Amino acid sequence: MENKNIRVFFSKTGRAVYISHLDLYRLFQRAIKRAKLPVWETEGFNPHVYITFALPLALGTAGLCESLDTKLTEDISTDELVKRFNDALPRDIRVISAGEQVRKPTEIALSEYEAEFDCDDAAFDAFLSAEHIPAEKKTKRGIAELDLKQHINVLERRPGYLRFTFPSGQEFNINAGLLFDAFEKISGTEIYSLHITRTEIKCADGENFR
Amino acid sequence: MYKEKLDRILLKVQKPSRYIGGELNSIEKDPENVKMRFAFCFPDTYDIGMSHLGMKILYSLINEVPEYWCERVFMPLPDMEEQMRKNGILLYGLESLEPIKDCDIIGFTLQYELSFSNILAMLDLAGLPVYAKDREALTPIVCAGGPCCCNAEPIADFVDLCILGEGEEVNIELMRLLELCKAENCTKHEFLVRAAQIEGIYVPSLYDVQYNEDCTIKSITPLEGAPEKVRKRIISDFDKVYYPETFVVPFSEIVHDRAVVEVLRGCIRGCRFCQAGYFYRPFREKSVDTIYKETVSVCETTGYDEVSLTSLSTSDHSEIEHMLARLADYSDDARVNLSLPSMRIDRFSEELLGRIKSVRKSGLTFAPEAGTQRLRDVINKNITEENIMNGCRIAFEGGYTAVKLYFMLGLPTETMEDIEGIAELCQRIIDLYYSLPSRPKGKGIKISVSLSTFIPKPFTPFQFEPQPTEDVIKERQKHLMEVVNTKKVQVSRSHFDVTHLEAALARGDRRLSAVIYAAWRKGCKLDGWTEYYQYDKWIEAFRECGIDPSFYVNRRREYDEILPWDHMDLLVSKNFFIRENKLAHEAKTTPNCREKCSGCGVSVCTGKACF
Repeated sequence: MENKNIRVFFSKTGRAVYISHLDLYRLFQRAIKRAKLPVWETEGFNPHVYITFALPLALGTAGLCESLDTKLTEDISTDELVKRFNDALPRDIRVISAGEQVRKPTEIALSEYEAEFDCDDAAFDAFLSAEHIPAEKKTKRGIAELDLKQHINVLERRPGYLRFTFPSGQEFNINAGLLFDAFEKISGTEIYSLHITRTEIKCADGENFR
Repeated sequence: MYKEKLDRILLKVQKPSRYIGGELNSIEKDPENVKMRFAFCFPDTYDIGMSHLGMKILYSLINEVPEYWCERVFMPLPDMEEQMRKNGILLYGLESLEPIKDCDIIGFTLQYELSFSNILAMLDLAGLPVYAKDREALTPIVCAGGPCCCNAEPIADFVDLCILGEGEEVNIELMRLLELCKAENCTKHEFLVRAAQIEGIYVPSLYDVQYNEDCTIKSITPLEGAPEKVRKRIISDFDKVYYPETFVVPFSEIVHDRAVVEVLRGCIRGCRFCQAGYFYRPFREKSVDTIYKETVSVCETTGYDEVSLTSLSTSDHSEIEHMLARLADYSDDARVNLSLPSMRIDRFSEELLGRIKSVRKSGLTFAPEAGTQRLRDVINKNITEENIMNGCRIAFEGGYTAVKLYFMLGLPTETMEDIEGIAELCQRIIDLYYSLPSRPKGKGIKISVSLSTFIPKPFTPFQFEPQPTEDVIKERQKHLMEVVNTKKVQVSRSHFDVTHLEAALARGDRRLSAVIYAAWRKGCKLDGWTEYYQYDKWIEAFRECGIDPSFYVNRRREYDEILPWDHMDLLVSKNFFIRENKLAHEAKTTPNCREKCSGCGVSVCTGKACF
């Protein structure tokens, strides 16, 4: 059969949120080897199984709709693929589904996040409603100043909870953690616990990335 | 459980995934269903400790017992330690994320002397008193195992007991006894007295050590029925010894990030400087079938694409070629690379080269250890210049252009001539390279010389020997740099500061516990790391305790002196070491064990010939 492009959706939660992007890459390579999945290998001097991730996830942030793209050299049912992946992965990384690559990773525009946290809620509300939310973003060229207020879209807010979107994508991406770093800096107060989860990834037309 | 607290700090430290557990194949059990908990501590960082085979074996072995739970514990780096202390997080196990102070046994593996201060640091971080006498409750029992336990005297004040020899059987026996003693509400002392009756268990507090006026040992007296000599444990049927079906696979890259299969234990060679060569006697090998089975199992369950066939001297396996051919059937098919870490230059052949060449062609490493034949005979390396030249020729003809050579400086009887011999040997290897018509075209040769400083170790024929003084070591290092006059040879040498401390601790006695304590109080820890090592603090600690390190480092011991480790029985007799020491001074070699038994004493103890 011809190589078949496939997109695998997975979650990365619990202890696995501390796995860096580079380590995640190696982790999946090994999982594929363990699971004996028929994944296409790159040709060349040092062949390795071919996988790419649509959108990196920041260290410390959990994800429920992460995805990787790969090529299969043999036909294998989706159920079988998911099962074999899950048998070969650490507990806190679970493959949820697999299917065709519908949208291109370059079409990704937004990520939706849920954050649960413990801090001074009044101070957080004041912080969110300010005219500007200045923050510093590390880029390849150094540190860039940006105003998070222009980029955030708050979807839901209650004490200790925030659901919001930030721009995402290969061109421009804002790490969800920046918002909370900015809060600690501006308010001078501390966040005692914080769990951020990426719940959805969307394209510019508002459709989910699939 | 510290999960919540850890979530608050882990993004503030480097490489957080090493502090959270949850890796593939790590074992979590329900604490409700567990009777005994064992915190297996490697007194160095995760990256180093997770590479250690002994820990993988014992971790899986204990966890095979349904009602026992073994967890992994490592030394956090200073950034993590600071966050832990700031947030009230005590040292925890990576599986449960709960404090290890609530475990029944806290076991340290001692692989090198420079990790001693980390034991104190880890106990303190666990919220426990560092001195054994200050831990009054029955649990946790703090114990130590591993090669450094052949002289555990420097840490005698901190540990409750030591496990001498191979832990595969004795660890479970010890846990059974502690389980029983818990049920019987024994005191810690009652438990220790009973534990001392288990072969291989050494309870330092049950031995009274008296000193002469010149600080040498006058007597070592066992108390309360403890054995006169503590005999090390060995596994008699090595082919059937427990081996884990799988390893925990770290999230981050560690030092040795590959599958490992132990092909043999012990060593036939009898190099006179090598403690491991005597510590792990007798020589025992696994059958090719067993090695094959274990290789497949570990590779398949971890997903590693490289497997290292490890031992003290893998090429000494009696069926090495058959083994490699058999493994190649699997490894070629599964796209797994084989690596042979410990290969003797005299066992090196075109066939072996072919097997490892498929892995990577970076460079080959050989260990002549000394520059002249005379000195190689003194240390009983049993390698001739012809062996070295032949090994290099095979490597060059096989396309290699770089060789790394290990040498030791400061060996007994060494003279400047032996130092010059290193440079001359390198020159002859260079000449050989350019004389070969089949050498890789258009490429120069590179020889890396790694020059470590010889450290006399207990339970070797050189346990009686002094290490040369600082001046002599530095002068000889300098001389080698002067006589090496080609850029094709690059020399790296060990730092005097580090070898000096290692030499003092290796042959130390109980009085060094005070020094280790003082150094730790001054902030010494992670001594194996150049960036954290504080030699000046150690020297201060020695001075404050009124102890001169040169007593341990630079002094020749008489054959009849009571050595601090004389109450340990590694099955190799002291008389054998004396005999070997005399032969060394006559530059006479001893044949390897397979050729001829030299009567080291092991076969007398085991009741059967080794070969």
